[in-house]
Amino acid sequence: MDFFAAEIDRTGTVAVDDTILVKGFETRAGSHILDGFTPMFGSDAVERMLAAGFAVRGKSHTGEFGLDIAGETSYHGVCRKSDGTLSSAAAEAVASGTVRQALCVDVNGAPRRAAALSGVDFIKPTYGTVSRYGIIPTACSGEQVGVCAADAAGLTELLSVIAGHDSKDGTSLPTEKYDYSADMDLSGMKVAAVRELYDAADDNVKAALDAFSAKLRKAGASVEFISLPDVKAYATAWQIMLSAEACNNISRYDGVKFGYRTPEYRDIDELYVNSRTEGMGFNVKMNVLYGSDVLSKNKYLSCYDKSLRIRRLASDKMKEVFAEADAVLCPAMSASSLPQYDLADTFERTKKELLFTAVPNLTGIPALVTGGIQLWSAAFGENVLLSIASNTERMAD
Amino acid sequence: MTVEELKALESLNEFRLTDAEEQKAIGIFAFMENEAAELQLTDTENIGVMVHCMPMTNVFRDDVRRQVFSREQLLACAPEHSEDSWIVPRLVK
Repeated sequence: MDFFAAEIDRTGTVAVDDTILVKGFETRAGSHILDGFTPMFGSDAVERMLAAGFAVRGKSHTGEFGLDIAGETSYHGVCRKSDGTLSSAAAEAVASGTVRQALCVDVNGAPRRAAALSGVDFIKPTYGTVSRYGIIPTACSGEQVGVCAADAAGLTELLSVIAGHDSKDGTSLPTEKYDYSADMDLSGMKVAAVRELYDAADDNVKAALDAFSAKLRKAGASVEFISLPDVKAYATAWQIMLSAEACNNISRYDGVKFGYRTPEYRDIDELYVNSRTEGMGFNVKMNVLYGSDVLSKNKYLSCYDKSLRIRRLASDKMKEVFAEADAVLCPAMSASSLPQYDLADTFERTKKELLFTAVPNLTGIPALVTGGIQLWSAAFGENVLLSIASNTERMAD
Repeated sequence: MTVEELKALESLNEFRLTDAEEQKAIGIFAFMENEAAELQLTDTENIGVMVHCMPMTNVFRDDVRRQVFSREQLLACAPEHSEDSWIVPRLVK
């Protein structure tokens, strides 16, 4: 599999995931249902990037609507690493040096997991700091455009360009520009490692976390275990909310105004049903079905409403954690590699991996993956995360 | 989740699953039923809902009349269209 759904400029240094609109280039969000859709405008993030002199190399393949583990449900096939295991096209394009950076949409942590699998960095900034205008929406209340790069310097360079208020996006925060240039000393920094997430990872991931903790201590930071006893509930709450939001967002694809239309239909009902049946993969359909179930009269209070209350609990809990610690250290996923698996199992397997990635989507806090592990900070704490990444990258293993 | 209930959800969402996919989906619903049951162990009494994870304010601006996209641009991505309209099957028989 090549990295790009569409090649744009061979001199370009940035890959843009196929969920992010680039004016004039076909955008399919990894789905057959959007075949032939060529946007008439570009996303705010891409327009800012182009205005700053960056060029887009191509539209990188993504998992269908960003709902899988690491991009493996793309209609165009899986992206294999040289050892046969899976990762995303964007992360592998960065890892191979094909591009210097990539823009990806983080709906459920897939770009973070892919960065860990490919040995590159990814930052999901604070919700609302990067405009969501011009991305194909899946789970609007928690998804965010982030940057993938080989190192922290690459993250800082592109994030500084794309972050800032956008009046076209109702979820955009009012700050006009963010400064991510602070390279903070790690001495005296307090890092909290989440016991439940550490225990849920395999031995390779635990070893990576131990090695990263040793680096932090060598740089003068302290690393102490903390407990997040409700972390599994946070993951389930985000699964419920993202499926509910995906169910609504994906309802617009019906084969009428844009995208794929079935060749076989006798009336408008068959046009809708056949187009959607043929155009979407099982994992997307499963999210839509589950989303409509949790929004139904019988489940609304026990599932959807409950999740909105758990979101507040999670947000309050993270504020408590960050009153005591500068950053949280945890796995990006349960294992350090992703072998090929039966894609009929994607929903359940992705749900299990949400344990490690849901909190930043649910609460809006930033997250950064470096060296195969994950860091979180308080909202607007990107400088803390970037400083930890840049300092540890400068240290020898 | 029964097959009948699942078929009703499929119909609501305007797509079909194969028989094998339906069997798989019923298993996934059972899996999520257990996951959601665990949610009830987390006490949310007196905890308010949180729809937006960051503080949000409504943004208002004056209406300005302008041409956003031309008819030709809007029709360019249509799976099927005439010179000036989207083509859909007849709705009234």
